[in-house]
Amino acid sequence: MNTNTRNTILEIIKRNGPTRPVNLVRELGISPQAIHRHLRQMVLAGQIESIGRGPKTHYHVAGSPQLDKAMQWCLSATEPTVNPRENVCETRDVFTGRLAHMGYFTRFGLKEDDLSLVLAVAGEIGNNCFDHNLGNWRDVPGCWFETKATLGRLWICIADRGQGVFRSLIGADPSILDDQTALVTAFEKTISGRFPENRGNGLKFVRNVIAGGEKRGLACRSGAGLVDYGMLGRNCRDEITRYSADPVGAITLFLWSLT
Amino acid sequence: MRVELKRFGTILMSRPAGREAAMAMKAYLRSAAGEPIELDFDGVISVGPSWLDEVLTALRLDYGSDRVTCLPTKNLSVIESLKVIGTQQLE
Repeated sequence: MNTNTRNTILEIIKRNGPTRPVNLVRELGISPQAIHRHLRQMVLAGQIESIGRGPKTHYHVAGSPQLDKAMQWCLSATEPTVNPRENVCETRDVFTGRLAHMGYFTRFGLKEDDLSLVLAVAGEIGNNCFDHNLGNWRDVPGCWFETKATLGRLWICIADRGQGVFRSLIGADPSILDDQTALVTAFEKTISGRFPENRGNGLKFVRNVIAGGEKRGLACRSGAGLVDYGMLGRNCRDEITRYSADPVGAITLFLWSLT
Repeated sequence: MRVELKRFGTILMSRPAGREAAMAMKAYLRSAAGEPIELDFDGVISVGPSWLDEVLTALRLDYGSDRVTCLPTKNLSVIESLKVIGTQQLE
């Protein structure tokens, strides 16, 4: 009985995303005390995690990146009304400052050698948001930068509300016809969107690092384009395709196993 | 002359920061006439290819490709950055 109820709770949370206990009480028709007892057991079993406090506590599936806020910010057709200071880096200096805090994840099992690569990958993607969009932001400048360690996995999400990869590259290579070709070109060919500079090896570096280890993955979405790399790339792709709208800018999610 | 890159920070990212670091390095390198210029990564946590490319391009333009080299390091971000830039570190 308990196992069945917990499986049902897990299914509801998977389906609805972050869920409050009061919603589970309504949907399952059992007492708040019983719901809280199940939730405590599920947290202890590593099935779910809680976010927030008191009546605002939500539960979500453990091991997932929780992209709701990032996606709302990135996909909003109009200027986002919520720009959390802990996530939105309006200038490169703010982004660089927050990048330096990633040493914190060595406490969760991130090895020193891996830290150097994780920083370099995040640094390249984040700085690209500024390099390719200065003066071309749709509204909010900068990037969304969010990190989360859960169940032996480090998730990093970097998104922007810029011009998108296709518009950024079309000046350097007019043969690029669509979002998908633009993304593949960005990650696999040395080309610079900042014409006439002969550069553009940053995302190639990112792809090499992600594909160079077993427990790494990345997915990037810009407009209708979508690419993934690395053995865990499929996990990243699944997470960023849960949301139906296409981002005008770009959103990149990468996953690094801590085990 | 050995250039200790940790003087410019322990996390070295972005082209603008690389450009600025290269300019600063040139001030120190004025007294190194004819000497080899060796980039020392000891004490650096992470380097991105954009930063490193800016530094190497600027220094090699002024001092020549043969004079500017990267000292051996086990830092994986440096090794991967050099691969993508197409430069080798000293054995």
